Amino acid sequence: MRQRQRGLSESLREELLRNGASVVGFADVTDALKGDIAHLRMAVSIGVNRNLNGETITVLSNLQKRVIRCLRSWGYRYLCIPPDSDRQNGSFISRLYPLFTHKIAATSSGIGWIGKNGLLISFEYGPRLSLATVLTDAPLVPDRPIEFSQCGSCSLCRDYCPSKAITGNEWSRNNPYIELVRKTPCNMYKKRIRATKGKPNCGLCINICPYGRKNFSGQQCGEINLQADGLAG
Amino acid sequence: MVTEEKKEEILERLKQAVINYDEDSAKEAAKEALEIGVDAADAIFNGLVKGMEEVGRLFEAQEYFVPELLMCADALYAGLDILKPHMKKLDLGVKGSVVIGTVEGDVHDIGKNIVKMMFDVAGFTVYDLGRDVPLDKFVEEQLRTDSDLVCLSAMMTTTMVGMKTVIDKLKAKNPNVRIMIGGAPVSQDIAEKWGADGYAKDASNALKDAINMISSLRKMRDEAEAKRAQ
Repeated sequence: MRQRQRGLSESLREELLRNGASVVGFADVTDALKGDIAHLRMAVSIGVNRNLNGETITVLSNLQKRVIRCLRSWGYRYLCIPPDSDRQNGSFISRLYPLFTHKIAATSSGIGWIGKNGLLISFEYGPRLSLATVLTDAPLVPDRPIEFSQCGSCSLCRDYCPSKAITGNEWSRNNPYIELVRKTPCNMYKKRIRATKGKPNCGLCINICPYGRKNFSGQQCGEINLQADGLAG
Repeated sequence: MVTEEKKEEILERLKQAVINYDEDSAKEAAKEALEIGVDAADAIFNGLVKGMEEVGRLFEAQEYFVPELLMCADALYAGLDILKPHMKKLDLGVKGSVVIGTVEGDVHDIGKNIVKMMFDVAGFTVYDLGRDVPLDKFVEEQLRTDSDLVCLSAMMTTTMVGMKTVIDKLKAKNPNVRIMIGGAPVSQDIAEKWGADGYAKDASNALKDAINMISSLRKMRDEAEAKRAQ
């Protein structure tokens, strides 16, 4: 039985990695599920590196379809939680999406931790992953969860945040609801640059994160600093 | 001309697509049904709705839970969207238009949406007011559309009382209008006391009631057809 579970898990993982997933993790999310979705206790967390191309959402939804095809052929139930930026449809099931967040699946399956900037950070890709989740009752073998933030003493995102919204607190599995980013100043700042510069988002805390950056050096910090001043001004 | 065998296969595929909450194959089967000339109403009632009846049974037996139910409903709609434009209007002697919504202060509308779906399937014209609907809006909309049925939904005891106000106002303006109420805090007692004509306890019961309604609708249709054949 154990052998078969391992077989299912690994063949699913391989299939996804072969078809464009940057990372794949399995998690037992029993504790995070409430009410209506409690019977789907395993989560398949899929991350795609946003730097790859502009079609991250398409890649993710195709990967989800692959997961569904596998699970259905094996005779298991599933519930797709699509990427956050792809939820405009008015379907019945879309009303249940807010019951589950991708970050829970991603941290529980060891893909990454929640950084000081409140985003999912992976060692390899930093905060540059787009996430999708499929919940299922298939007996997949869970990966090892991440328990603590791996940000360490780095506080670049807090230091350079133009709205000073990042508190510098550190996430851990024991304390998942600690305030990392103050919503109000962050939102107000984003609203302002939307109005004045026509930019849809700020994203500085993503760009500055040293995890997953190519050829990161202290010099780049300076450049980002200048940009930040420019934005703030 | 489509053979009986091929038709049965398509109907079975539509049914299975709903049961397996498979939107893509529901769309595919619906398109194929139209291509080979299966009657749209036949495909809806003996394909999609048959599937939903089975889903209702699975839900009652606690094989399926709310997520599956909702995904099945999505699959049904995917097929319905393709088939419905080709369906001939049913002549049942009822006008078949209904105003539906969740009352003021309440944002819970999953049950309401499932009931709405069943009306859609049955070929009713549905005026969906959405959720958190101001009480007077129900009365206005009923008068505007001259609908014969108004469906009110509430999930909370605090918002439920709004339904009584609506019922009184509707009955005062138009004594002939039929009113159905539903939602977790509502009971048969309350429905009778407040003068509602019908009642459904929650999503699963509403589903069952709506399915009963559609099943009897189908029976009426079959009878009408049998009469015509004679």
